[in-house]
Amino acid sequence: MKAKKVNLFFKIVLIFTGFLALWNTCLYAGKSQKLRVALTGKFPPFSFYSGKGRLIGFDVDVSKAIARKLNRDLEIVTTEWDGILAGLLAGKYDAIIGSMAKTPQREEVVNFSIPYYISGAQLFIHEDNKDEIENIDALRGKRIGVGLGETYEHYLRKNYPDIQVVTYKSTVDIFQDMLNGRIDGFVTDKLVGLYQIEKGRMPFVTAGKLLYEESIAIPVVQERPQLLKKINKALAEMKRKGELAAIYKKWFEEKGKDFETAAGIETKIIVKKLGKGFAITLLVAFSALLMGFVLAIPSAVILNNKAFFIYYPLRSFNDFIRGTPLLIQLFFVYFGAPQVGVMLTPIQAAILTLTVNSSAYMSEVIRSGLMSVDCGQILAAKALGLSRLQSFRYIIWPQAFRIALPPLMNSVVALMKDTALIAVISVGEVIREAQSIISVTYNPMKYYFIVAVMFFIFTFPLMKLAGRIEKKIKEKGFANA
Amino acid sequence: MLEIKNVRYLYPDGTRALEDISINFPREHILALLGRSGSGKTTLLKCIGRFLKVERGKILLGGRSVYDLSEIDLRRSIGIVFQDLYLFPHLRVIDNMTLAPRLVMGEDSKQAKDTAMVTLKKLGIDDIWDKYPSQISGGQAQRVAIARALVLRPKYLLLDEPTSALDVDTTDEFGRWLVRLKEETTFIIVSHDVLFCEKTATSGALIEEGRIVSRGSIDNILKKTKR
Ligand SMILES: Nc1ncnc2c1ncn2[C@@H]1O[C@H](COP(=O)(O)OP(=O)(O)O)[C@@H](O)[C@H]1O
Ligand SMILES: [Mg+2]
Repeated sequence: MKAKKVNLFFKIVLIFTGFLALWNTCLYAGKSQKLRVALTGKFPPFSFYSGKGRLIGFDVDVSKAIARKLNRDLEIVTTEWDGILAGLLAGKYDAIIGSMAKTPQREEVVNFSIPYYISGAQLFIHEDNKDEIENIDALRGKRIGVGLGETYEHYLRKNYPDIQVVTYKSTVDIFQDMLNGRIDGFVTDKLVGLYQIEKGRMPFVTAGKLLYEESIAIPVVQERPQLLKKINKALAEMKRKGELAAIYKKWFEEKGKDFETAAGIETKIIVKKLGKGFAITLLVAFSALLMGFVLAIPSAVILNNKAFFIYYPLRSFNDFIRGTPLLIQLFFVYFGAPQVGVMLTPIQAAILTLTVNSSAYMSEVIRSGLMSVDCGQILAAKALGLSRLQSFRYIIWPQAFRIALPPLMNSVVALMKDTALIAVISVGEVIREAQSIISVTYNPMKYYFIVAVMFFIFTFPLMKLAGRIEKKIKEKGFANA
Repeated sequence: MLEIKNVRYLYPDGTRALEDISINFPREHILALLGRSGSGKTTLLKCIGRFLKVERGKILLGGRSVYDLSEIDLRRSIGIVFQDLYLFPHLRVIDNMTLAPRLVMGEDSKQAKDTAMVTLKKLGIDDIWDKYPSQISGGQAQRVAIARALVLRPKYLLLDEPTSALDVDTTDEFGRWLVRLKEETTFIIVSHDVLFCEKTATSGALIEEGRIVSRGSIDNILKKTKR
């Protein structure tokens, strides 16, 4: 009897694992047509958008060459540097060809290919200070900027503990703070730094020798040694045949060559990029709002009545959502979903997260609206023979909704603004597009201001409308009935 | 006939609100259920309206327990106007009145509206049909609440403390309206306002601390209270 049960248990486990294996194979089989490569698209000259809006750069060329050698179509995913490794681990793409340095820490979670170029960490300072600051030792006790998640941060903290390390989302931000005097220097890749300084016509110069050398290589998940082997073979061949050197020469030695960027970025492209970005922002915001609102109504009813058996789970869930940063929820959904076998595109993940998030906030607002409706209203409706549903639909809901409307409008405005965060899971919304424009134009204030205005054009009428409705309700005088 | 037999009700907190209440309400005239504040009048009214379930005893309507009636049959037989009226603040007077006929009795909008206007006219307030409840006076609101219940044509219409929010003049006027309407339904006035009941009702009962202490004509009851 017992043996039989165990047997059955094993059978179930076997079938289940078999199913999982099949599922995984299908997933990977579906992927094998294309080589999906991640990079930031904001890292000139390695990856950035040209004046004509095309993704170009050293890393892009290397990606193309490798895909060709592997005989695969190339799909480039542009994503934020912060989440680029997490995305690789979550299976969002096959490899990162985004100028990632090989480090022991990273090697714990991924396998690196052989290096495809060598660079190094370089300190840059303002040219006005070049006489005082000979090398990094002169900056002890001062503030130095680095890109968030780059190896330089770890290196500086370890070797120069008395230097204050300030992390930035992008080089453009670092430049801005160098000009503002918030930092005294910055450390970045020497090649990148020199290129960007020249492009942005920035008054910065190198100070001292390379802090250390870095091997730039391609990380692949540890579960896919076959892929790594193929990439290594491709790289070795490219080195042998001088193809890699040719790409290097194209981007670093042919000075003065026009990479479609010399004249900056065309206005037409800027308008198109920002327009497309804002369309995505609106799509995400309105889908999330609509679904969040629909979900919020039953949630609010449940939250308004402890008698429902799911009251306590929902109460806790709502508190959890409202008490944790949206940013973390986004990461959680985007990187967590693949681990339970659900592949979500960045936009799907963004809509899902914002739906849940906005539903949590809106259900609280609606709940307090429901609570402020006099219980006597239900008695009166019942005395007239209305069913519970009719009483909710015609008596309770219209009153609760009118009370909840102004704070609901505020939730809508808040959610609109929250969409700014979804760039971190590589949704190409308006702020991400602005950043990619800024990475070639070096004019953050201008483009961030334009984006702010775009948001304001949408949120302002909503805020006005909320005010109008509130006034109207006060005039009719039933808000406190 | 509305019969109440040996009804007892305890609130969940143990308050004994009704004890062995027995009383019959024949379908005629205007009846009164008198009693001091806190004596259990509203509790009895809520039991009759099935908002509370009696602990013991029976409430029968035409020989059938009100607990066995369908929701629609019950609401079409017994109307209730609560002390606080509970007009629907987001609906105009006319919409307050047509909602139940449309939703519950399946009348079409025109039919419901016509009936509502006729009823409003009977109560002398057809001029306020398009006002919101916040825009009308207390006396008008009281009549709208009655009109809203009347359009369902209940056999009995229970009014809880109908005069508590009215001043002396309005109370008298309201009483006259009720007398004029007594052919429409049997009013049961639940009130501590002895003067008003004396002027308006023909017979009734007196309730004290949850028990019926006297019943019969209003004069009789009043004699007893004065004693
Ligand atoms: N919800 C309640 N819970 C507990 N006791 C109540 C409740 N409502 C009324 N009571 C008590 O029941 C008794 C009768 O109240 P009620 O029927 O409202 O009296 P009346 O309408 O005659 O003024 C009172 O003692 C009152 O305090
Ligand atoms: Mg009372």
